[in-house]
Amino acid sequence: MRKLGLFIPGLLLSLVLACGGANPHASAPAAPAKGLAYTDPTGTGWRLVKDPASTPTRLLLNLVGPTGLKTRGAGFNLKAPAGVQFGNFTETSFPIKDLGIYDLWNSNPYPYDGSVAVGSDPLEPRLLAGGLKAGNVLTVGDFQKDRRATAKDSGRALFQIALEFDASAALKDGDALTLTIAKSKFIAEDIGAFSGSLTAEIRQKSVMQDMTISVGTLHAN
Amino acid sequence: MHGMFPRPLTALVFALALGPVLSAAQPMTPSALAYHRAQQPKRVALAQADLLAHRTELGLSAREAFVPAHSFTNAQGEAIVHLDHTFDGYRVLGSQAIAKVPLGGTIQAITGKVLKGVQVDNEPTLAPETAKAIAVRHLDVKGAMKDAPRVERVLFPAQFLGGIATAVDPATGKSILDRKHSVHAKLASPYVWAYEVKTHVQNSQDGLKALTYYIDGRTGNILRINDAIDRQSATPTTGSGQGYYNGNVAIPTSQMVDGTYALYDPTRGSLPNPYLQYFTPDGSGWGPTGLQAWYELNDAQGNNTGQSFLFQGNAANNWGDGLPFSIGSFGQEGGLNGQTMGVDALYALTWTWDFYNNVFYRNGMDGLGTTAIAQVGMTGSWYKHNAYWDPYYQGAFLGTGTPDGFGSFTEFDVVAHEMTHGVTGTTVQFVNAAGYEEAGLNEATSDFFAQMTKAYAAGGGGSAIPEADLPWQIGAGVGHGTPIRYLDKPSQDQRSVDGWYDGVHFMDGHYSAGVLNRALYLLAHGASATPGDINYSPYLPNGMVGIGNDKTARIWFKAVTEMLYSGGMGTVTFQEARDAAIQVALQLYGDSAGGYGFDSLTSHAVENAFGAANVGLNYAEPPRTQVRFADWRNNDYIQRTHFTAYANRQFLPIGEKVVPRITVLNNPNTAVTWTLGGPSIYNNGLHDGESGYALKGGVINADGSWTTPYELGWYALTATSQADPKQFAEGRAFLINMDTDQDGEIDALDLGPISFSWLLRPGVNPAHSMFEAPEVDDGDIAAFADAMKSTWWVK
Repeated sequence: MRKLGLFIPGLLLSLVLACGGANPHASAPAAPAKGLAYTDPTGTGWRLVKDPASTPTRLLLNLVGPTGLKTRGAGFNLKAPAGVQFGNFTETSFPIKDLGIYDLWNSNPYPYDGSVAVGSDPLEPRLLAGGLKAGNVLTVGDFQKDRRATAKDSGRALFQIALEFDASAALKDGDALTLTIAKSKFIAEDIGAFSGSLTAEIRQKSVMQDMTISVGTLHAN
Repeated sequence: MHGMFPRPLTALVFALALGPVLSAAQPMTPSALAYHRAQQPKRVALAQADLLAHRTELGLSAREAFVPAHSFTNAQGEAIVHLDHTFDGYRVLGSQAIAKVPLGGTIQAITGKVLKGVQVDNEPTLAPETAKAIAVRHLDVKGAMKDAPRVERVLFPAQFLGGIATAVDPATGKSILDRKHSVHAKLASPYVWAYEVKTHVQNSQDGLKALTYYIDGRTGNILRINDAIDRQSATPTTGSGQGYYNGNVAIPTSQMVDGTYALYDPTRGSLPNPYLQYFTPDGSGWGPTGLQAWYELNDAQGNNTGQSFLFQGNAANNWGDGLPFSIGSFGQEGGLNGQTMGVDALYALTWTWDFYNNVFYRNGMDGLGTTAIAQVGMTGSWYKHNAYWDPYYQGAFLGTGTPDGFGSFTEFDVVAHEMTHGVTGTTVQFVNAAGYEEAGLNEATSDFFAQMTKAYAAGGGGSAIPEADLPWQIGAGVGHGTPIRYLDKPSQDQRSVDGWYDGVHFMDGHYSAGVLNRALYLLAHGASATPGDINYSPYLPNGMVGIGNDKTARIWFKAVTEMLYSGGMGTVTFQEARDAAIQVALQLYGDSAGGYGFDSLTSHAVENAFGAANVGLNYAEPPRTQVRFADWRNNDYIQRTHFTAYANRQFLPIGEKVVPRITVLNNPNTAVTWTLGGPSIYNNGLHDGESGYALKGGVINADGSWTTPYELGWYALTATSQADPKQFAEGRAFLINMDTDQDGEIDALDLGPISFSWLLRPGVNPAHSMFEAPEVDDGDIAAFADAMKSTWWVK
C-alpha cells in the first residue's frame, strides 16, 4: 500500500510532462494591451504621420501632403476598428486641430481700413470642423475660406487628429488595428483666381480633387 | 438648473435713517404727493450713494458704479430709482439695480439683475464712428435716416449674444432664416467692450425701422440686434360715430388763435413731444406740448405722402361723422370721416393718460410728463394693418385698416395698449421679440392695462379702478366682433396659449401673452371650479376668488415698474414675474388683508392665479411634473433656452437621425410622448409666415430619435409627459442642408465647397449655402459647425 501510495503521484507528473512535450507550438497568452503603436507609412504623397507629442494612449496623427503641391485645404473620412476612439481637441472643440499652415481667417475684414485686424476674433467662423459618424468613422476638414489668401505648400503637417486607446475593448498586445480612409479630397491652388465676378470657368473649377492618403500600421501594445 | 426656477430677485435691504414708514397702501393726498415728488432728486442721490457704499456686498469692484437711469415717485410717495450698473464709467448692458427710497425707513434695493464678476481686459480698438458705420452698412437704408445714429460705448455680457432670427419670405410666405439679422458671432470671454448704435429710419423706401446694434469694439462683429418698435400685430377692422368706436364722446380740444379748433389738449403733458419739437410753432396757438391727434395724409389711392398734420381748422369744434374710415376718404384724412379716427384716438389717449396719472400717479408714459401723441391714417404695408408705439416719438401710430376688411386701429383698448408700451419701455424695458418669454410679458402688460383703462373710463375717473363689466378682449371692434386677443381664455383665438410651458418663448409675444393675460384675468376675476367654464383652469381645479381689478392692477403695476428689469436683454421670465407679483402683494396687502401677514390671502391669490396659468405652484401645492428640454450645451440637440451664453443657436442637418434630449422632473414616470411640431393649439392657429410659426416634419422613431425631414426650415418637436399630459415642452431647431458637394453624404468634406462661394455675391452654387441661398458667408460656416457638433459630436 505504501508503494502504491508513492507511485500514483509519480505517474501524474509523468503525464503532465508528456503532454507538454507533445505541443511544441503553444505559447503564453498575450498580455492585455495598454496603448497604441503606430508606424508611419513610407512615401512622399499624402500621408498620416505620427506627431512626437503622442502618448501611449493618445496617438496624434498629422496630415502631411506632397512637398511642392500648393493647396487650400483638405479633409478625409477615416474608419477605425473597435479599440480605437477618436479624441477631441479642447482648443477647437472638434476632433481636429489646425496646425497653422492654412490661413483660416477673412483676409480683409470690414471696414477695410485696417481698424479690424485679420484674425482678431478668435472665434471667427472657420472652415475647420469634424465629427464622429456611425461605424466609428471620423470626418474632418480644414480649408481656407478666403480665396484671396494664397495657396500653401502641403509638404508640412497641415492638421492633426487624435486616436485614443479604448481600454474597455480588451485588446491584446500585438493586435493589428486597421485604419481605412473612406474618402479624401483637397482643394487645389488653381480653382480660378478670385476675380470678384462669377464666370463659367470658376464654376467649372470649383470642385475638390480626390486624393489618396497613405496610412501607416497600427497595433495595440 | 433643471427643474429649478432661478431665484429671480435678490433683495438687499440697507438700513438708513430710522423713521416712520408709511403704510404701503395708505392713500396719499395730492399735496403730500407733491412734497414727495419734490424730494425725488435728493432720494435719487441717496439711492446712488447707498448702492455705491455697498459695492463690496454686491460683489463689485472699485471700477464699478451705479448711475441713475430713470426715476419716479410712486403712489405711496416712494422714489423708485433705476440705476444702471457701470464699469469704468460705461454702462453694463442688462445690469441694473432698482432702489426704493421712502421717506425715512430703509432703502430697499433689488439687485438680482446686477451682473457679478464683471471683468474685461482690452480696450476697444474700433472708433465709435467705425461702429456706427458698421451698423449703418448693415441697416442698408435706401432712403434717408430719420435721425442720426446715436453711439454709446458699453460693456457687453456674452450671455446676451443674439441668435437665430427668422423672417417671412415674401415670395413663398414661409418662415425662413433671417440671414441678415441672425447673429453668428461668438465671444471667447464673458464680457467685451462694444458700441450700442441706435438707428431710426422712417421713409417710403425703407418703412419704419428702429434697430439697435451692439458692435464688438475690437472685431467689429455684430453681437446683437434689438428692434425697438412695439408693433400691435393684430388683424385690422373699420370704424364709425362721432367716434366710431366710442360713439359720441367729449374730447379735449383747443380753440386756436384764429378761432378754429384743433384736436389738441394742452392741459396734459408738461414736456414737448420729441417728434413734434421739430415743428416750429406758427403763431396759431399750437405747440409741441400737450396731447394731440395727427393724421397721415395719403393720396387718393391710399399711398402715404410722407406728410402729416394736426387735426385742426374746425370751425364748430364738432369732429367726425361716427362712420368707419372710408376708402373714399383717402386724400382727405383731415375731413369729417378721417376726423372720426382722430376722435377715437384722442379720447383713448386722454383716458389712458389720466388712468396712469390718477391711479398710479405716473406723469405720462415716461413718468416725466413728456407729451404723448396719436397719429392716425397710417397706410403702407408696414402701417395700415398695425398699431405701434414709437418710443422715440412717444407716440401711438395707428393704421387705417383695410376698408373692406379690418377697421382702423383707433379702438380704445388698442390705443391704451400701445401707450402702455410707453410705460414699460421706460421702466422694465422688455424686449419685444419672439425668442424671449418677456415678449409675452410685454404684450400682456399692455393688454391688461388696456382693460384696466377701459374699466377706469367706464367708472368715470377717480383714483381707483372699478369692477366694470369688461369684455377682457383686445380689438374686438377692429375685428368686427372678432377680437384680436382674449384675456379670459386666450386660446379662444386658436393662437394664444392659456398656460406656460418650456418653449413658450418661441411664440410671438402677442400670443405668449396669453400666459400672463390669463393669470391677471383670473387674479382679478376669479377662477371657476367647474370644468368647461371659461375661467376654469385644470391647473387650479378648485378655482379661486378674484381680488378685483384695482388690487390686481396695483400689484402688477408695481411689479412691472419697480421690481422687474430687463433693459432689452430678454432675461425676465414668467416665473420671475410671478415672484415679483407675490412680493408686491405682500408689500401692499400683506398686513391689510385681515392681518394674515406673510400668509396673506392676497399673495395666496397671486400664487393661485399664476399657478392656474402653469407658472409656479398654487398655494401649498406639492411640486408639479415638469418637462424640460435640456439646457443648451454644445452637444445638446434642441435647445431649451434662447439666451444662454455663447451658443445661441440650434442648427441640425436635414435627412439625419438626431436624438433630442428631454428631462422630466418631479414624477417617477419620466416617459414622454413625442409629437412633431409645436403644441397643437399653437401650430393649429398659426400659419407659415406668421411670427413664431414652426414647421413639423420628419419621423419620430420608436427609440425617441428624430429622423429630420429633407426640407430646410424652422422645426419644432413637442414632448408631453405621459404621467401628466398637462405638462409638455417644445424644442426647436433650424434644419439646414449641409451636403454642399451633393454626394449624398454629409461629412466634413462638405466644408470645402463653401470656400468656393464664400464672399462671392452670388455664390458659385446655391448648394454651397446651408440655406440654399444664393450667397454664402460666415453665417453658413457657423451653422455648419454648430450642426456638425450637435449631430456628430466627439467626447
